[in-house]
Amino acid sequence: MEEERTTFETLEAAFVEGRLSRRELLRRSALIGASAAAAHLLGSLGLARPAHAQGTPKKGGTLVIAKESELDILDPHSAGGWVTWRVSKQMHEGLIDEDLTQANVPYPKLIPKLATSWDVSKDSLTYTFKLRKGVKFHDGTNFDAAAVKYNIDRCAAKDSPQFYARANAYTTWIWQFLKEVKTPDEGTVQIVLREPYGDFLRQLVQGGGGAAVFISPTALKKYGNEGIAEHPTGTGPFRFVERVRGEKVVTERNPNYWGTQPFLDRIIDRPMPEPAARMTALQAGEVDMIYVPHPDGIAELKTKGFKLEQGPAPHVWYFAFNLKDKNYQDVRVRRAINMAIDREGMAKQLLKGTAVAARGLQAPCCPSYDPSFKDYPYDPAQAKKLLAEAGFPNGFETVWQTSVDGSGQLIPVPMAEWIQRDLAKIGIRMKLRTYEWITYIGYWIKGMDDASNKVGGQQMSWGMTSDYWLDIVTNSSHIAPAGGAGQNGGYYTGADAMLNAARGEMDETKRAALYRKINQKIKEDAPAVPIINDLAPLMLSSKVKGFVHAPEEWYDMTTVWLA
Amino acid sequence: MLKFLVYRVATIVPVLFGVSVVVFLMMKLIPGDPAEAILGPAATTEKIEMVRKSLGLDQPFYVQYVRWLWKVLQGDFGTSIAVNVPVAQLVWPKFWNTVLLTAGSLVICIVIGLGVGIVSGTRQYSWFDRISMSLTLIVANTPAFWLGLILMVVLALYLGWFPATGMYSMRASQKTFGDLIHHMVLPAITTASVSAAIIARLVRSSFLDVIRKHYITALRAKGLSERDIILRHGMKNALPPIINIVGLQVGYLMGGALFTEVVFSWPGIGLQIYSSIVARDLPVVQAAVLVTTFVFVLVNLGTDVVVAALDPRIRRA
Repeated sequence: MEEERTTFETLEAAFVEGRLSRRELLRRSALIGASAAAAHLLGSLGLARPAHAQGTPKKGGTLVIAKESELDILDPHSAGGWVTWRVSKQMHEGLIDEDLTQANVPYPKLIPKLATSWDVSKDSLTYTFKLRKGVKFHDGTNFDAAAVKYNIDRCAAKDSPQFYARANAYTTWIWQFLKEVKTPDEGTVQIVLREPYGDFLRQLVQGGGGAAVFISPTALKKYGNEGIAEHPTGTGPFRFVERVRGEKVVTERNPNYWGTQPFLDRIIDRPMPEPAARMTALQAGEVDMIYVPHPDGIAELKTKGFKLEQGPAPHVWYFAFNLKDKNYQDVRVRRAINMAIDREGMAKQLLKGTAVAARGLQAPCCPSYDPSFKDYPYDPAQAKKLLAEAGFPNGFETVWQTSVDGSGQLIPVPMAEWIQRDLAKIGIRMKLRTYEWITYIGYWIKGMDDASNKVGGQQMSWGMTSDYWLDIVTNSSHIAPAGGAGQNGGYYTGADAMLNAARGEMDETKRAALYRKINQKIKEDAPAVPIINDLAPLMLSSKVKGFVHAPEEWYDMTTVWLA
Repeated sequence: MLKFLVYRVATIVPVLFGVSVVVFLMMKLIPGDPAEAILGPAATTEKIEMVRKSLGLDQPFYVQYVRWLWKVLQGDFGTSIAVNVPVAQLVWPKFWNTVLLTAGSLVICIVIGLGVGIVSGTRQYSWFDRISMSLTLIVANTPAFWLGLILMVVLALYLGWFPATGMYSMRASQKTFGDLIHHMVLPAITTASVSAAIIARLVRSSFLDVIRKHYITALRAKGLSERDIILRHGMKNALPPIINIVGLQVGYLMGGALFTEVVFSWPGIGLQIYSSIVARDLPVVQAAVLVTTFVFVLVNLGTDVVVAALDPRIRRA
């Protein structure tokens, strides 16, 4: 196929002439490193989706949000899951952050938060952060260098009195190469690493596991490592009011916030595990915003005037192959499976457009994600041929496992059955083993070759806005010595050298290029079959304004206001 | 009577002990590990061990059980694994919310069950009897969560008469009793539906039995008013089986509340057990099941005592 040579000018011309959609313009501009120019173009044409283009924002009001599950503890160092971080993030801040006020960007830009500036030493090991002055925690105490060190030591310094094992377990990916934290003066922090870690800054803004944000040391001393979860005390635009478990978490505007004050008086987050209950509560006006509407109910809600917000998010739903299983040792088998599954059909018909077909294993919304990446085409005939060449003219029998529910899992069973049907067409008789989420995660961690539960493929869905995520899920160094550890569940080793080299590359553009090559290598080796990228749909009542569906799994609530 | 009471109370202890063992074992035997659950996809073997140790899950299960039981006897149910607060603090408020819902449902059950049952029982084969008995047959076989969704769509969404979810309005500045009742109507009807239908049918047949007895005919012959016959003489003899079944229904109401609470997001013990099972939050599930069992057993005891008071034959048995 002939590739058109693209410059931003050709894209601009195509867009103005109407040959290119807004989304496609953004995608392709990102590809040639011209996202800023594209955003500017859209802005100048009045086509961007700025936060306040929906009338004059006004202060006041309580926003009620229904979430898909109960929140984990509100200790941001020691809790996992997007559901919890969406709340904790409004109360806590880190040195830097992602700009979540822009929806039309390929991935969120890094912006200063509690640090006003930072630089990296020539040997790439020392990060010097200049701290913002005059910032206070919600308990009135000062944010300074000592507070930064106190918090990092809680997560990473095993000999410090405030060390908390759970916080350490959650923040591994962030602090894994940390050597020491220095505080030359109260407005400066130096973080020294043992080896260059190119994605360190992007890891500092992650929140799906533990987050690198700051809790008041005074509050930590007062309430202890476990008690702090009941008294979240950060520096963020919202502060904690109360939590009634199973009912709600209430936060309110922080009147002493150092930055721009949020519009909302209060936010009430309600756990509502039943999708039908969430959708009903939205229609009855009892909540203003819901996460994870059921795909089958979205169209009806839209006709009733509710707004659907969705867009690219760092999420990939994939099956990894068990490379210790004889059936999967020939790369042609793995490629054949990649070609046998109709992902486009699944996204459109089964998921009703709340997701798109995945392209490559790397999750969207990180610098190395390439929207034009050419994954295997849907070609069952070719797949059958490949399978025959690999010595399986009549296919084979195999067992795959998936959860039936869980965080970010979408509707895993119907999706796996879709795959099952497609695989049957090329002769692979896949039996599905399903477990509820917690049981499943246990098996997933043990790995596919565990004697108690041998399977040929297993499903997972997650992602990060950091390129390093690809390392987490494919580097064999993350396979535990005992053979378990689910990150690299398939026992793949083919990209190790490239991954190790990319990790130390400090230039973001060069690093992204390296990870793109790795993603290409992973595609060729096919240790997994990427299926779907979720678009993280949520539904809003028409009175909710200013909400920005940034390319992340969590959002900035300071721009939101109620009409 | 005292001997009967002592005997009945003594039988409760092994029941509770048995339940505690079964619940403990059940949660231990199903696959899945709270430490792995807490960590999710980010887990590694090392991290899992760290978290397991911090939760005391590295101990043999019988050690965990004895430790737990010893503390429970002192009123300490331990700390929730998933949300990190004392279990008692988590379970009691939820338990009272369920008691409120169950009480509301019980009122509906008794009023509808008794009312419909008595009228049907005394007017056999009347149009009221035929319609109400057909209806109760349908309702008694309707899954509560489905009825809940239907009520929600019609009465909350379409007509807007009642709120669809929760126990109080989240936007209101303070909680009021009226708001509570308003929120309770739909979940209470949903929870009560099956039990009310069963009670109505039972009351009807119990009354039909009594009304055909010779002493009723004798009373009629004596010229007593029909009202006196039914309420003063018929009722007393029809009551023991009815009280028995109502007592049992209290247990079913609490069990049924589990489904209702999930559908209506009623923050009770059912919703709590549901989310705690999903999160594999062992201490909370144990406490919640134990408390629920305790109440179930207690209500049954109360029922037995009332029936024994009404019917001397049972005391001697």
